[in-house]
Amino acid sequence: MTDVLASNAVRLPATPEAVDAVHGQLERLWEVADFVPALDRMAFETAVVEAASNAVRHAVAASGAVLEIGVEATVTRRRLEARICEYGAVVPDLDAAALAGGDPGRDPAHGAGAPDAGEHVPESGRGLALIRALVTTLRFERRDGNNIWTLSRDSPASG
Amino acid sequence: MQFNVEAGEGYTEVAGTGRLNMVAAPRLREVVAETVAAGNTRIVVNLADTEFMDSSGLGALIGCLKLARQAGGDLRIACVPAQVLMVLQLTGMDRVLTPHPSVAGAFSGD
Repeated sequence: MTDVLASNAVRLPATPEAVDAVHGQLERLWEVADFVPALDRMAFETAVVEAASNAVRHAVAASGAVLEIGVEATVTRRRLEARICEYGAVVPDLDAAALAGGDPGRDPAHGAGAPDAGEHVPESGRGLALIRALVTTLRFERRDGNNIWTLSRDSPASG
Repeated sequence: MQFNVEAGEGYTEVAGTGRLNMVAAPRLREVVAETVAAGNTRIVVNLADTEFMDSSGLGALIGCLKLARQAGGDLRIACVPAQVLMVLQLTGMDRVLTPHPSVAGAFSGD
């Protein structure tokens, strides 16, 4: 069953303010898809905002192009899906290790034996691992000169 | 996001209202840096009205924790909502930033 029950999209210049717009977009989505359980909304929104933030932070404009990000969010009976597009971006320098994922809590500089060693804890680099922990699938593709990240979360209680 | 700084008994409370994302994270760093520079190094960040936090916000909290500790103080978090707790737990950072149930109790027992 892949009938689309709710969907919307935004496309904006790739600035930090675009992330606030994505929050607003998802709020409007939940107004229509009010049957999606709170836990799934929370996990999906966190993953989508992380992905949009990554796009704003890391996407590099191709020569002569204006960098924009687009987010298309779709709710079907069993699945929440988002496509985060980096329009006008060069091919990203994919961090293979981060994409391979694993435990976002794993932190080489911070062993379990020293739970209070805050001064050695890195301040960044958790975004992709967090996304992977929150979604069922995460896919990257290069299409028509744009970078597209597709993430989905199964939400069997939907509908 | 709005930040409100208020003196408590033996600590300074920084309350954040709104979304702690990549837009708000640099402002949290500024607010805490100013508070620490003013000599208030024991900080409780009240997250009761922080409806959302992502890895940018988490990074800012960790940066603020380091800042407070380098100044001889500490930073604790209180009244943590479900979404913020989820991010802390999935990243294992709840071991570094332990959620406290109340602002007043965050430094009690020290």
